[in-house]
Amino acid sequence: MAIEFERVSHQYVGVDQKGYLAIEDIRLNIRGDGELIALIGETGSGKSTLVQHMNALLQPTQGRMNIFGIKVDNLTKKRKDVKLTPIRKQVGLVFQFPEYQLFEETVEKDIMFGPKNFGASEADAREKAREIINVVGLDESYLSRSPFNLSGGEKKRASIAGILAMEPDVLILDEPTSGLDPLGRNALLEVFNTIHETLNTTVIIITHDMNTVYEYAKRVLVMREGTLVYDGDPLKLFSKKNIDRWNLDKPEVLALAQDIENKFDIHFDTPPRNKTMLKDALKEALK
Amino acid sequence: MNPMIEIKNLSFAYTKDNMVVDNVNLTINKGEWVTILGHNGSGKSTLSKLMIGLLRAKTGTIKIDGLTLSEETVYDIRKKVGIVFQNPDNQFVGVTVRDDIAFGLENLQIPRETMIEKIDKYAKKVNMQEFMNKEPQQLSGGQKQRVAIAGILAMETDVIIFDEATAMLDPKGRKNIYEYMKELNREGVTIITITHDMKEAVDADRIIVLKDGRILRNDTAQNILKDQETLEQSNLELLLPLDVLYSLEKENVNHDALKEYLWQSSLKG
Ligand SMILES: Nc1ncnc2c1ncn2[C@@H]1O[C@H](COP(=O)(O)OP(=O)(O)OP(=O)(O)O)[C@@H](O)[C@H]1O
Ligand SMILES: Nc1ncnc2c1ncn2[C@@H]1O[C@H](COP(=O)(O)OP(=O)(O)OP(=O)(O)O)[C@@H](O)[C@H]1O
Ligand SMILES: [Mg+2]
Ligand SMILES: [Mg+2]
Repeated sequence: MAIEFERVSHQYVGVDQKGYLAIEDIRLNIRGDGELIALIGETGSGKSTLVQHMNALLQPTQGRMNIFGIKVDNLTKKRKDVKLTPIRKQVGLVFQFPEYQLFEETVEKDIMFGPKNFGASEADAREKAREIINVVGLDESYLSRSPFNLSGGEKKRASIAGILAMEPDVLILDEPTSGLDPLGRNALLEVFNTIHETLNTTVIIITHDMNTVYEYAKRVLVMREGTLVYDGDPLKLFSKKNIDRWNLDKPEVLALAQDIENKFDIHFDTPPRNKTMLKDALKEALK
Repeated sequence: MNPMIEIKNLSFAYTKDNMVVDNVNLTINKGEWVTILGHNGSGKSTLSKLMIGLLRAKTGTIKIDGLTLSEETVYDIRKKVGIVFQNPDNQFVGVTVRDDIAFGLENLQIPRETMIEKIDKYAKKVNMQEFMNKEPQQLSGGQKQRVAIAGILAMETDVIIFDEATAMLDPKGRKNIYEYMKELNREGVTIITITHDMKEAVDADRIIVLKDGRILRNDTAQNILKDQETLEQSNLELLLPLDVLYSLEKENVNHDALKEYLWQSSLKG
C-alpha cells in the first residue's frame, strides 16, 4: 500500500479561533501500482484537504497515516527524527490554485526546482524543463517568461509542468483542467492517462467534470461534508439515487447514450464511456 | 438597439512588441448576453480588464453607456460595470467574508441598513450565509468563487462580466449561479461571460471568438457552435450531440429521426 489513512480527521483553526472540521474519520487505501482515481464532491466537502494529507503537507489532527512506510500523525511535526522529504518526491501534488505553486522568476526555474531539489544536475533539470513544457501544451518561449505574467490557463499548465518534471510515483492533481481550453483539457487528460498507463503511476484527479470521471477513472471517491461516502466503480456511480443525493451531474456521453436507447430502436451492448466509443457504437448499430 | 459598450480600434500590449489585444472593434447592446470564447492566452481576461479601466489601452477607445473611459470617468464606469475575476484571490481585500461582500458597496455610499440587506441577500444567493465571519483565505476554492460572485452581484451594476467565475463550482452550484445570471439578464442586466464550457455558451445572444488577441468571429451562438472549423482553430470543441451528428453524416448514416434529435438536443446545451 502506498498511502493509508487510518481514521484520519483534520480540524482547521480559523482566525476566529474556532475549529473547522474539514475531514472526518477517513479510512482509505491508495495502491502505488497504477490506479487512476477520480475524487469528486461538492464545494467545501474536503477534497483539497484530503489530498494535502497524501504528501504530508497537512497532518491529521486525529488518526494516522502511512505514506510509503513513513508514519504521519499529529505529533510528526514536532519530532525531529521524521524526515518528510522522501514523501514530497514520491507524492507530487498540483494545487487547485497555480498561484500557490509558482514562485520562481521564470517558468524554467520553476519547473527545474523539483528535479534539482531531488538531486538532478542543473543540465538534466534544464533538459527536463524543455521536454515537459511541450507536454503541457506551451512552447519553449514560455520558459523565459515570469510565471506571474501568464494568463490563467497558462499558469495552470506551468504549475502542472513543475510537478510532472518530478516524476512522482503518485501524481495528485487538484482540479487540473479548470481554466484550460477544451482541446487543452482533452490533451492534458490524455497525458495523465498515458503517464498512468506507461509508467504505472498512480494518478488522482480532483474534478467537478463528470465526463472526466466517466471516461478515465478506474475508481472514484466521493466526499460529502468531510466524509468519504463512496469508494468504487465509476460505472456504477451514476444511478439516479446517487445523482440526487450527492448532487452529481450525469456524464454527457452516458446521458446521450441512454436518451438514444430510450427514443430509438438502438441498443448498446457495452455502455460507451467517451465520444469516440459512442460514435463507433452508433455507426455499428446503424450499419 | 442601444449600445452599452462600444469598443473601437482597441489595442494593448503588456510588453512592447507583443499585442495581446489587437485592433478589437466590438459593440455590446443593453440587455444583451455575450459570451467570449477563445484559447488560453487569447486575450479574454485582458480585454475584460481594459473594459473597466484596470489596464490602459495603447490605442483605441471604450465607451460605456455613452461615457468614454478615461482617468476622469473610470470611477463612474466601475459603478456601471462589475467584473468577477478569474482568480477570486485577486478580489479579496477584507478580513472576513462579510467585509469582502461589503467592499464594493462601501464605495457606493448607500445607507447602512440597505447595505446590510444587500450583503445578506447576495450571501444567500451564493449560499455562503454560514461563512460570513470566516477569513476568505480560509475557504475552499469553490467557496472563494462564490464570495467573489456575491461581492459583484451586490453592487447591482448594469453590466456584469464573469471571467470563468464558476470554473471551480460543483455541478449544482454552477447551475444555480447560471440560472441567476439568466434571471438578471431577463431583468435587463447586460451579461458578459468568459468561459471554456461550451454548454454555457448555448444560451448567449452572441458569441465572440478571440484568437491571438483578435476577434476571429462575432456571430450568433447557433452559427458559431456549429462551425467546426472556427472551433478547432481556437482550441474549442463541438457540443457532444453535434459532434456525433457530424460524424454520422460523414459516414452517410441514414437515420433522419436520430439526426433531427441530435440537432435539437445540441441547441439545448
Ligand atoms: N485554512 C483553513 N482554515 C479554516 N477552514 C478551512 C481552511 N481550508 C479549508 N477550510 C474549510 O474546510 C472545508 C473543506 O475545504 P476544502 O478546501 O478541502 O474543500 P474542497 O472539497 O476542496 O472544495 P472545493 O471544491 O470548493 O475546492 C471547507 O468548508 C473550508 O471552508
Ligand atoms: N501580466 C502580464 N504580463 C505579460 N503578459 C501577460 C500578462 N498577463 C497575460 N499576459 C499574456 O497576454 C496574453 C493574453 O492573456 P489573457 O490573460 O488575456 O488570456 P485569456 O484569454 O484570459 O487566457 P485564459 O483562458 O488562459 O485565461 C497571454 O499570451 C499571456 O501570456
Ligand atoms: Mg478544493
Ligand atoms: Mg483569462
